[in-house]
Amino acid sequence: MAAVAGLGATVGALGRYGMTRLVQSYHGNRWPLATLLINWLGCLLLGFLTGWQATNLTAVLLGTGVLGGFTTYSTFSHEVIMLADQRRYGAMTLYLLLSVGGGLILAAGGGWLGWIFH
Amino acid sequence: MANVFAIIVFAFLGGSGRYLVGQALPATSGFPWATILINLIGSGLLAWLSHAKRLTAQWPEAVTVGLGVGGVGAFTTFSTFSVDAVRLMSEQRWLAAISYVLITVIGGMICSALGVWIARRWWTFHLEEE
Repeated sequence: MAAVAGLGATVGALGRYGMTRLVQSYHGNRWPLATLLINWLGCLLLGFLTGWQATNLTAVLLGTGVLGGFTTYSTFSHEVIMLADQRRYGAMTLYLLLSVGGGLILAAGGGWLGWIFH
Repeated sequence: MANVFAIIVFAFLGGSGRYLVGQALPATSGFPWATILINLIGSGLLAWLSHAKRLTAQWPEAVTVGLGVGGVGAFTTFSTFSVDAVRLMSEQRWLAAISYVLITVIGGMICSALGVWIARRWWTFHLEEE
């Protein structure tokens, strides 16, 4: 099962790499929009998968693997600290609140949708 | 292309590593210690890796990208963190939910700041060396 999670994570990480490059080519990288959108999308989809009550194999492959590898906490945390390092405290607070608050709302909304479609 | 290959290799390790840590550290009465540990360690490592230029300059760029985007990026997870926090709230375990969010967010920031500080202190190029 660890290999199943690993396999899913390769797909998720490549998706994150591609999406980061795509978003940054339009938006630049002064504000970490790419990571915000990736984490939001991942929270919505993992919420859906959890509410939908996926079987164990699907949950490990798509949940732990693909979505766990797609979203990232380390980059988020590093970007918060870099905004603080640049003394852009307003941007830092906005990024932090949008990521955590938005992530929670989307995970809850996704769970509700999954429960309905189950 | 080298970047993509490196990301695949390291993301496989990061993703299976996260699964194994989760198996080794089962949630005690539903509190996700494993995810906390993973996200805090990963935050410190990624911040350190991003600033340890004196070290990363010695190996191909693909290795740094693979380790950061693939390895540590896939090891840590934002989606499981959010879904677990929502689960604690839906069980009306408000104190556990608030502690989980605060420990992860504040702990992650402390670990990231430490990673940056350590790398800048010992692993970066200083002006006189350049």
